[in-house]
Amino acid sequence: MASEDEINLLVIVVDVNPIWWGQQAQREPEFTLSKCLDAVMVMGNAHMAMTRTNKLAVIASHCQDSHFLYPSKSWRGGDSGAEDASSSGDGKYELLSIANNLIAEEIRNVMSKTEVRGNSTDTLLAGSLAKALCCILSIKTVYSFQHLRHVIKAAEDCALQYMNFMNVIFAAQKQNILIDACVLDSDSGLLQQACDITGGLYLKIPQKLALAQYLLWVFLPDSEQRSQLVLPPPAHVDYRAACFCHRNLIEVGYVCSVCLSIFCNFSPICTTCETAFKIQLPQMVKPKKKKLKQST
Amino acid sequence: MASLSEEVLLVVKKVRQRKQDGTLYLMAERIAWGPEGKDRFTVSHLYADIRCQKISPDGKAKIQLQLVLHTGESTTFHFSNESSALKDRDAAKELLQQLLPKFKKKANKELEEKNRMLQEDPVLFQLYKDLVVSQVISADEFWANRLGDINNTDPAPYNNKQEVGISGAFLADIRPQTDGCNGLRYNLTADIIESIFRTYPAVKQKYSENVPHNLTEKEFWTRFFQSHYFHRDRINTGTQDIFSECAKQDEKGLKSMVVQGVKNPLVDLLSLEDKTLDEGYGVSSGPPSTSNLNRSVKESSNAAIIKRFNHHSAMVLAAGSRKGLSHLSSVAIEYEDLQRKNRPKTVALNLKKSDRYAHGPVPLLSQHYTTSQDIINSVNHIRHEMVNYKPNLTQVLSSTAATSAIAALSPGGVLMVAGAQQAINQMVPTEVQGELKHLYAAAGELLRHFWSCFPVNTPFLEEKVMKMKSNLERFQMTKLSPFQEKIQRQYLSTNLTGHLEEMLQTAYSKFHIWQTRRMMRKT
Repeated sequence: MASEDEINLLVIVVDVNPIWWGQQAQREPEFTLSKCLDAVMVMGNAHMAMTRTNKLAVIASHCQDSHFLYPSKSWRGGDSGAEDASSSGDGKYELLSIANNLIAEEIRNVMSKTEVRGNSTDTLLAGSLAKALCCILSIKTVYSFQHLRHVIKAAEDCALQYMNFMNVIFAAQKQNILIDACVLDSDSGLLQQACDITGGLYLKIPQKLALAQYLLWVFLPDSEQRSQLVLPPPAHVDYRAACFCHRNLIEVGYVCSVCLSIFCNFSPICTTCETAFKIQLPQMVKPKKKKLKQST
Repeated sequence: MASLSEEVLLVVKKVRQRKQDGTLYLMAERIAWGPEGKDRFTVSHLYADIRCQKISPDGKAKIQLQLVLHTGESTTFHFSNESSALKDRDAAKELLQQLLPKFKKKANKELEEKNRMLQEDPVLFQLYKDLVVSQVISADEFWANRLGDINNTDPAPYNNKQEVGISGAFLADIRPQTDGCNGLRYNLTADIIESIFRTYPAVKQKYSENVPHNLTEKEFWTRFFQSHYFHRDRINTGTQDIFSECAKQDEKGLKSMVVQGVKNPLVDLLSLEDKTLDEGYGVSSGPPSTSNLNRSVKESSNAAIIKRFNHHSAMVLAAGSRKGLSHLSSVAIEYEDLQRKNRPKTVALNLKKSDRYAHGPVPLLSQHYTTSQDIINSVNHIRHEMVNYKPNLTQVLSSTAATSAIAALSPGGVLMVAGAQQAINQMVPTEVQGELKHLYAAAGELLRHFWSCFPVNTPFLEEKVMKMKSNLERFQMTKLSPFQEKIQRQYLSTNLTGHLEEMLQTAYSKFHIWQTRRMMRKT
C-alpha cells in the first residue's frame, strides 16, 4: 500500500520534431502526430488513474526548444481551467480531462509557433531530458519516498548532443531514475545506452498504429512490477567507441597515451594533442592497442 | 655406531637404562645411549622426535631423566655415578633444554603448515579430498608446489591473527580465596601465567632458572605470591627472597623509562600537571618537607604504591608493544595533502581539436538529406494538422492493431525471441553446479601438473608426464564419466562437460605426439 508520501512520477518526453512528423504524415497518413499524442494521453490517463499519488508530466521536445505540455503554467490559475474541464460532460475523472485539455492546448500553441529554420533540424532531446530530470529532482526534494520514471518517445538521433546526453544519462543513473525508450523510426544508440545504464526498457515498435498498446503493455508498469512480468528482453547494446578521424565504430584501435583520443589507424603524430610517437623498426611497430569488448 | 661426522656434545658415563649400565651421548641432532662395553647404540632418539624431558624431583634417591617422545613412548635414564650423578644429570638436562626447542619446531612445522592451509582454504581442502584421498595423485605431488620453502620463510607472515593484549588487571583478577583454615588459594590459569611472564620478563627468567630443578611450579608460584614483590608494601626486607632481584631490576627499569620519556607527539603529558588556580585550590603548599618523619613514612609508602602502579602499567604497555606492533610515526601529525610537495614537473595537456571528444559515435555525414523545400513543406503540413487538434481518445487503437501488438509481445512473438534462451544456470540445480566446479578445480590441478612437464628434458619429467597421463585417465574414469552419466540420466541434455573433455583430449593428443616423437628418436 503506497503511503501518502510516495509519489510515482511519470514524465513523458515526446519528440514533436515538425519536420519528421510532417514527412511522416505524408508517408503514412493513418499515423500522425495527433494519433501519437492520443496514445500518449491514454497512457498518461492510465497512469494517473491507477493511484491517487501517481503524477504525470509531459514534455514536448522540439527542434527549437523543449516545452512542458503538462503541468503548464496556465493551469496554476486553477478555477478557470476547472470550469472548462467539467464541461466535458462525459463524467470523466476531472483530473484526467483537465490534463487532456491542457496537453492539447499546449501542443497547439507549440506547433503554431513553429518557425522554419534550416540549420536546426534536430530534436533537442538532451535538453528535454535535462528538463525532465530537473522536474523530477525538484519534486524529489519535497517528498520523502518515491519511485520515478521517465518515458521517451523519439523519432531520430542526433550526434551533436552527445556530451550533454551522456551527462544527463549519468545523472539519471546516479539518482536512480529509469529511462525507458520507445522508438518509432530508427534505432538510436544513445537511447539504447541510456536504457541499459539506468535499467529501463528500450523498444523499437514494429507497428506504429498500435503505439498505445505497446505503451500500456510494456511501459506502464513500474520497475517493481516489471520484475514479475515477461517483457521483451533487453537488446544487445553496442558500446563500441568511434574513432576520432572517421567516426566509425571500431573494436580494436589505437589510443594516444597522452590525450586518450582513439584512432583506427596508426599515425606517428596524434592529431589531437600533437604528441610524436617514436616509430621503432617497421617490423616491430608495437602500437598501443585497445581491445574493446562488446558487452553481452 | 655413530657416524664420524656427528659432533658429540656431551658424554655421560655411568648412566643406566633398563637396569643396564652404559654411557649417554648427546650429539648434534640426536641423543643416544649405548651399553657398557658395547660399540653400538641401543637407544637413539632424534631431538625432533622428543616431545619433552622430565626429571625426578630433588628429594628422590634415584636421579633420573626421562624423555617423552611424540609417539608417547618414554625412555628413562638413571644417572648412577656416586659422586657426580646430580651434576651429570643437570648438565644433560641443560643441554637438552637448549637443543630441544630448535628441533621441535622443524618437525611439526610442516605438518602444522599443511593442516593450517587445508583448514583455511576450503577450495584447497576440497581439491585435496578429490585428488589425494581418492588416490588420483599422491600427497607428495599435491604438496610439491604448494608448501614452498618452509624452512627459510619467516613464519611471521602466516600469523594473520592479531596478538592478544594483556589485561591491565590480570594481577588483580587472581582473587585469593580463603582456604578455610587460615590459608589462601590462588587460582592461576595459563593465561594469567602468560600475562605475568610477558609483563615481567624478570619473573620469566627466574622461572626458567628455578623450575624444574630447584622448585616445582607450585612452589615457585607460592613463593611468588608470598614474596613482598607481589604484595603492596614491597619494602625490600630480606634478600633470601628470590624475587628481591626482580624488585631491584624493576626499579632500574622504571628509572630508565622515566628518562626515556614519552615519544608520542600527540600526547602532552605536561598538560596533565596540577595547575594551581588560586590559593587553597589544589595547591601544593611549598616544597614537600622531608623533615616531618610521619609524613615521610606515609609519603614513602604512598609513593611506593604509586610507583608500583606506574611501573605495572608501563610494563603492561611495554609488553604489548614489544612485538613492534604499533609505534606512532610522524604520519599521525602531518597531513600529506597540505604539505608542499616537490612534485615532478608535468607538461600541460595541449589539445588542438578538443571538440572531437564531444562528438558522439555517429558518422559525421548525416544520412538524411532534406532540402529546404522539404522542410518548409513538412512544417506547414504539421502546423496545419495541429491547428485543429482535438484528442480523440476513443479511437486510439483498433482491435486488430491491438491483437497483433499483443501477439508480438507474447512469448514466442516477434519481439520476444531473444528471451527464449534461458540462462543455463537457471536450468541446472546448484548441487550439480557445485560438483561441476569441483571437477573443474580437480581437472585444472591435474592438467597443470601435466602441462608443467613440457618440454620434457629430464628422465624425472618423463616419468612424471607418464604418471600424469595415467592420472588424467583415472580421473576421467572415476570422476568425470559417472558425473556425465548422472546428469544425462536426470537432467536435460545440456552439455556441461564438453569443455572438460576437450581439455583432456588436448592433453591426450599432446602426450600421444610426444610419445611418437620419442619412439622415432629412439629408433
